[in-house]
Formats: sequence, C-alpha cells, structure tokens
Amino acid sequence: MALSLRGVGKSYGKIQALDGLDLDVPRGSIFGLVGRNGAGKTTTFAIACGFLRADRGSVNVLGAGPFDAARHRGRLSALPQDAALGRDLTLYEQLSYLGRLQGVPRHEIRGEVERILHLVDLSDRAGTRTRTLSHGMLRRLGIGQAFLGQPELVLLDEPTNGLDPNQAHSIRDFIVAQRGTRTIVVSSHNLPELETMCDHVAIMDGGRVVRSGPISQVTGRNEEVHIVLADGPVPLAQTQAALAGDTVEWDASARTLRVSFSSRPGRQAEDVIGAALRPLLEAGARISSVSRGQSLERTYLAMPALPPELPKQGRN
Amino acid sequence: MLGPTPFRDICLVAGFELREMLRSRRAVFVIALYLLVAALFTYGFVQVLERVNEVAKNPAALVTGSNPSANGPGGRGRNRGPVFAPSPADKPSQGILVTPNSPFSRLIFSGVQDPATKDFLVRQPPIVLFYTLASLFFTPLLILLTTSETIAQEHQSRGARFIVLRTGKLEFALGKLAGQGLLMALVTLLAGGMCLVIASWKLSDFELGPAISSTLIFWPRIVAYGLPFLGLAALCSMNSSAAIAARGFAVFGLGTLFYLHYLAGLATDQSVLTNVLGALDYLTPFSHWADLWNASAAQVWNAMMLLAGLGVLYTGIGLVFYRRRDL
Repeated sequence: MALSLRGVGKSYGKIQALDGLDLDVPRGSIFGLVGRNGAGKTTTFAIACGFLRADRGSVNVLGAGPFDAARHRGRLSALPQDAALGRDLTLYEQLSYLGRLQGVPRHEIRGEVERILHLVDLSDRAGTRTRTLSHGMLRRLGIGQAFLGQPELVLLDEPTNGLDPNQAHSIRDFIVAQRGTRTIVVSSHNLPELETMCDHVAIMDGGRVVRSGPISQVTGRNEEVHIVLADGPVPLAQTQAALAGDTVEWDASARTLRVSFSSRPGRQAEDVIGAALRPLLEAGARISSVSRGQSLERTYLAMPALPPELPKQGRN
Repeated sequence: MLGPTPFRDICLVAGFELREMLRSRRAVFVIALYLLVAALFTYGFVQVLERVNEVAKNPAALVTGSNPSANGPGGRGRNRGPVFAPSPADKPSQGILVTPNSPFSRLIFSGVQDPATKDFLVRQPPIVLFYTLASLFFTPLLILLTTSETIAQEHQSRGARFIVLRTGKLEFALGKLAGQGLLMALVTLLAGGMCLVIASWKLSDFELGPAISSTLIFWPRIVAYGLPFLGLAALCSMNSSAAIAARGFAVFGLGTLFYLHYLAGLATDQSVLTNVLGALDYLTPFSHWADLWNASAAQVWNAMMLLAGLGVLYTGIGLVFYRRRDL
C-alpha cells in the first residue's frame, strides 16, 4: 500500500475530525477521496503529510511508517488546501527553491523547473512575481510544485478548484497520464471529475471511511446496468423473461430500467446489456442511453446518512 | 537525487529567506526606516560634537561659572561651573576633545567605572561609541519587529507546509533564523556605514580609517548582543499561529526578561531570592551588556559566547515545543 491508516483519530478540542479512520491506498492507483465538508478529508491529508499528529491509530506512508522528513524526503509531495506560496519572488525562484529542497540536484534544477512550468502552462510567467498571478494560476503553480522531482505519492487537495474548464481538463489529463507511474490521491467535491480520473475511491463521513474500493465496485459497474427509455412502449415483461435470474426494476419517474446481475466469467455487463436490449428493440422501445452501474454522484447521494450518534463536525 | 543534508537545507532556507526579505516591500521599508533613524540620530549627535568643538576652540564662550580655574585639566568639573575648558595638551580628535579629563571621558567613566575600559573607550572615535550604544538599544527592537513574525507568518499562510514536507521543522526554523540573523548583521553594518558617512560629511577633522577599524571592532559585539533576541523572537514565532500573536508574545518575553534584570538589580541582600534572581539574570542578555564594552578581548569574547549561548538556549526551548506542534 502507498498509504495505510488504521484506527486514526484526531480531534480539535471538542470537535472530532477523524474517528477511527481506516484507509488503504493501493500503490500506483489514482485514488479519490470524497465526502461532505467536515468529513475529515483535509485532516486525513494533513496527518499523512505530518502536518498534524494523530491522537491515536497508526499511519504508514510508503511502507516507512508515519511521515518523517528524513525518511520520506522526495518521496511524498502534496498540494495542501489553502496554503500560499511566498509572494515576492518569481515562479522560477519559488520552484527552484522547492525543487532543491525536494532533492533535485543543482545542475538539473533549471530543466526540472521548466518541465513543471510547461506542465501547468505557466512557462511565460517564469520571471514574474507570484503576487501578480491570478487565483487559477496560483492553483496551477501549487499543482506543479507537487510534481517536482519524482515523488512516489502525491496528495492533491481539491486540485481543480478555481480553475477554468480548459485548465481543469488539462490538469485532469495530466493526472490520468500519471496512472501506474506513481500513486495520486485526489480530494474533490467534483464527483464526475473524480469518476473520470480515479480507479479507486473512498467515501468519508463523520471522520470515517464509510465505503471504499475500486470505483467499478463502488458504483456497481459490474453489478448493474441502467437503460433509460424515451417516450414509447416499455416491454417490462419481455425484458424480465429475457433476463431470467437477474433482477429487473422499472423506475417510472426516471424512465429507467435497472438490471441487477451477478458478474461472473462469461457473463459480464456487456453480455447483460446485449440480452436486455434485444427484447426492448424488438418491442419498439426507444432507447435514450445505456450505462454500466450508476454514477459516483448518484452512488454518493444514495448512501444512507450516518446515524445521529456519530459526530459530523470537523475541520475539512 | 543528491542526499540532502540538514546543513544544506538550512543554508537553502536561509538564502531563500534573505532573498525574499530583501525583495519584500515591508522588509525594505523596515531596513530603510532603520537606516533613516541611524542617519537622523547620527546627524543630531554630530551637531552636538560640532557644538562641543566650537566651545572647545573658544572656551570663553562657555566659561560662565563663578570659579573658572576649577575646571582645568585636573579639575573634576562637577557642580563647579563649565566643563569644557581644555588644557593646552588637549587636541580635537575624531570630532571631539578626547583627553583623560575631557567631558566625554568623564561621561564614559561615569558609565563604565572601570579605568582600563575607560581608557580603551576614550581611544575610540565617539561616533563609533554612539553607533554602538544606539545599535545595542535599537537592534533588539528591530529583531522583535521583524524576526518574531517570520515563522508565524508561514504558519498563518500555511506556506510552511510546502517546506516541512521537503525538509524537517528543525531545518526550516533554523534556516529562517539564520536568514534573519544575516539580515540583522547586514542592517547593523549598513547603519554603521551610514554613521561614518554622515560623520565624515559633517565633521571637518574626522578620520575615516580609524573610525572604520573601530566600527569593525564593535560591530561583532552588536551582532552577538542581537543573538539572544533572535532566539527569543524565534521561540515566539515558532510557537504562534499568527504573526500578530508572535509579535505580542515576543514583546511580552522581552518585557519579562527586562523586568527580571531590573529586579535582580534591585536585590542587594544575600537571601535565597536574591541568589535566584541573580542566576536568572545571568540568563538575560541585559546582564551581559556591560561586558561588551570591556577592554579585555577575552572578557568580550566570553560575553559574546554567553550571548550566543543564550540565543541557542532560547531557540532550543522554542524547538522543543515546535517539534510537537501541529502546523
């Protein structure tokens, strides 16, 4: 595991931010961390990075125990939430300083800084002071510094927050391109964005992980097929007959046919889609869309609320 | 990747801190203000020196007492009329009459009490003694105003998180402190230069060479005196989450140390309390102030080492708490 937390607790006075958090982030994955404000995502990041000390529980970063600057130097980097870089030096100076501390040799630092500036589309701003940058540019600079050197684990707290659609898209593409080369943990409220980037996800609430796993498993991609029908016939009986052994439900308000099945060798979601579409088309049904599982957003919203006895406040 | 060392990281942080401070408008303003104050005070002091010389050249202009003969070279001059009448052997030097019985000598003697130290000091250009005296007063204030904020500001903006992920808290704090120390040393040296420039401009018989040599004798003492205040400022800054809190904390710390020194000065009996106060006073920079003026190089060296030790002590106390502190 790239990151493993067991029974981690952290409180700020009377506010319980983390309450026995268990979290495993597989190496090489792009891991999404989802949760409402105050769920404990930022506290989790801060504990992983050593900014905060856990009150209890164990933390293991890259198999070398809790974060320690000497042990983890150059192996872990992060985009901390709301952290501001100095305002009076240029982008080049800021990045070369951070890169040198990260362990990039002096003779490589120029090339490395140019790589990062190109990566976040700030090459033309290399010589300007940080104070002159817009919010979006500062965000990109923050993301860029997290990829200085060759970190094995990168924690990004709401990386695309405040970026315009083009910038957000290019950052997403960059993150996806890192798959397999390093582990990236992304915290975000933008669930469609996480769904396109991540292969694993954990949903947090009340300082705990309430659901986690491969995103296909969490969203039921290999367990459910959703078929949305336009106005016209709804041949429910024929479909149920064609999918004997599976559960077929009709949601009239959403005009969605939901097929729940057990995935096994020789019978994947694609096979179920084929079997379901045949009777529908033969009966003249008009099909608007077909999807595997439900979106991460619908999964998240469909989750039951935490019991009232569990704490729900905390520093986000 | 190179194998980074703590010393290398401290140097990197210090260099960056110094560069950032010199680029920030606020720091430039503080430095400019310090130099302006140095210039104004020096100008005022030089005006006094000129007046003294003027009187020295025309003693009759000031001899107004009832017993002028009592104010010759061997006279005490205390409560007996004017004090500026020179002997034929007296000659103006470095902008002021400096002879064993000149008013300036008597002023120093009254402050120092030790004849050897007095002899050493009267050989120094008065402008340099003035610069040293003013710097020993203003440098702690400059440090508390600037250094006390430096780490706390990084906590407030959370900018420290970018650094401590790449190096330890120890390296981060010591690097910041080293950068501030270098800045303090630079500013006090520039202030000395400012004093000499104004003196050489305004005083007709001013000798620059000896004044530079003398400045370089006293400047390290000023820097050494600043070290405990740097340590105090770092202690407060490391353990504050906001710049204003750190400054308040530092001012309170300075006041506490000064009050301790004051109390120790009041106690004269041999009680346990007096001994305790005396021991605690030893841990304040104020108790080593007088030793910095000493003629003996060994005593000055000891005082400087003690002051550096106090700086390390205060910083060390701060680091003990800082290591356990959440950012």
